[in-house]
Amino acid sequence: MSVSVETSADSPVPARPGQPQSAGLNAMQPYCRLETRGEGTLLHLTGEWVLDRLPELNAALGRLAIDPLRPLTIDGSGLERLDSAAANRLIAHLDGVGIPFPMLSLSGFSPQADTLIHLVAGRRSICTAPPLRRRGMRRALGWHVFKLGRATVSSLAFLGQTGHAVGRLLARPALMRTRELVVQLEMVGVRALPIVVMMSYLIGVVFAYLLGIQVQKFGANVFVVDGVGLAITRELAPLITAVLVAGRSGAAFTAHLGAMKVNQEIDAISVLGLSPWQVLVLPRLIAIVLMLPLLTAIADVAGILGAAQVASWHLGVTPTTFFDRLQEVLPLKTVVFGLIKAPVFALAIGLIACHNGFTVQRDARSVGLNTTATVVHSIVAVILIDAAFAVAYPEIK
Amino acid sequence: MTGGMVVEVEHVRTRLGGRWVHDGVSFGIPRGQVAALIGGSGTGKTVLLREIVGLERPTEGRIRLFGEDLAAVSQTRLDALRRRFGLLFQDGALFSNLSVAENVAAPVQERLRLSNALMCELVNLKLSLVGLPLEAAYKRPSELSGGMRKRAALARALALEPELLFLDEPTAGLDPIGGRDFDRTLRVLADSLGLTVLLTTHDLDTLYDLTDRVIVLHDGRVIADGHVKDVAQTDHEWIRSYFMSRQAN
Repeated sequence: MSVSVETSADSPVPARPGQPQSAGLNAMQPYCRLETRGEGTLLHLTGEWVLDRLPELNAALGRLAIDPLRPLTIDGSGLERLDSAAANRLIAHLDGVGIPFPMLSLSGFSPQADTLIHLVAGRRSICTAPPLRRRGMRRALGWHVFKLGRATVSSLAFLGQTGHAVGRLLARPALMRTRELVVQLEMVGVRALPIVVMMSYLIGVVFAYLLGIQVQKFGANVFVVDGVGLAITRELAPLITAVLVAGRSGAAFTAHLGAMKVNQEIDAISVLGLSPWQVLVLPRLIAIVLMLPLLTAIADVAGILGAAQVASWHLGVTPTTFFDRLQEVLPLKTVVFGLIKAPVFALAIGLIACHNGFTVQRDARSVGLNTTATVVHSIVAVILIDAAFAVAYPEIK
Repeated sequence: MTGGMVVEVEHVRTRLGGRWVHDGVSFGIPRGQVAALIGGSGTGKTVLLREIVGLERPTEGRIRLFGEDLAAVSQTRLDALRRRFGLLFQDGALFSNLSVAENVAAPVQERLRLSNALMCELVNLKLSLVGLPLEAAYKRPSELSGGMRKRAALARALALEPELLFLDEPTAGLDPIGGRDFDRTLRVLADSLGLTVLLTTHDLDTLYDLTDRVIVLHDGRVIADGHVKDVAQTDHEWIRSYFMSRQAN
């Protein structure tokens, strides 16, 4: 004797039109339907039970009214395909309504599907927390505080290690890695020349042009030389050069050291009995400290040439007048002041960049994060140091 | 198109760095088979695998996946084909900015919209299938051991219910126990999920435990092809020394 069963009235999904749900008829649904047979219930599976249909399968399962107290048999003879995701959903759903897998009987499944169901049933585990966890406010705050603390400690340790390495190098100059230093001098200095020259020349042009418009109002064209000389040598050239080098060499240091860290090359250097500070950090630091003042001096010249160009074109100040006036109004002290800032900027950039390179974690994301941090931190550091210099030595002759 | 072949490689020749890495390689892999490509270092096993999945192109010859010529299909068609197979890279190639669970969920999220509960269930299933403890789900790939990373990568490769699985050195870098364990997991998955598997390996134990068939590449050609026991009997210098290395230990 066979009695059909309707889906329960409180089923969360209303019956769709065209799908007879009345008593006395089989509840014809896609994918699955129930049939009462004697004491037990028969669950017929039909169609494609695959990952792509998972939402519909889940809805179809939700519409079934399964009585957990009757023995349930699953009939897989109508299945076209079955994959592990769908098999898992079926088992999980039945488990959820109170029929654990060992209580089920399977019939009509292909041997392949039968193995699959048993594998999934044997391996599946109860769903625990959702895959995306959010940190609470307090957790986030604590995490950031500890991160800041760790960063401070690690910066101090890095500074100490670097100081130690410098001390050893001074005691034994033979420790200097000359080849690496030469490579870095080229990378940091020579390769940066075109961009530094071009940028400072353009800054000189723009600055002289704008200043020229102002001084022209007073017919004091020649005074453009005073402004340009002071601004370029004291502030613009050192700052522009430092920012360019921070973005160029600073980022390169972090990315290079970071990639080496990911590749365990830094560990390899230590294991060879060499100091990563002697091999990697010092050549870079020395190169950047030597090269930044030189680049700044070149930037001074390029900027002033740019300004002289604009002065002769737009303001009628001939180059001869320009440079005569420059010699009168620009004391060497101002130029030297600008150049003295450069090695301090360089030291900050080099330390920040190398430290960020050494603190890269062993994954690709970390290299990107630390490189970004290097550029941002070193530019901020450069501007802060510049401000400190301006406050400490405010006198302008 | 040959009936029932999932992967077909026909007369493939590849020129790399001024030398022919493959010089007429041909084989076909029928549905449901677990096949291994072996050969000395530099014989182009990984290159061949990359050519079969369409990451690189052979200089000459033809490669068919599910009966479609890779050189002739459009990018859209290639992407559709790629959804039907999974690839396990040698070092896992897990996305380092995502947790293990998010790594496994990533391919599924690209394909269909699932509720959080369903997605969670799916991720848990895949992690359980490859034998990863659920605590590992929230870890980042960098916090996992080599063996666990391999398993996580396998879970991601299985996420879209592929019919075909490519494995590049699945047991390289695992200890012998972990390696055998991984082989057993793979064999069970291949049998119950009905997967076709093509793998490259250096691991003799993998050949005996896992594979139905071994294809030996040497000097750019296939020098032996068959069940591992038959291949081991082949009278060829490289094959003899390869299988001798096991007895020497």
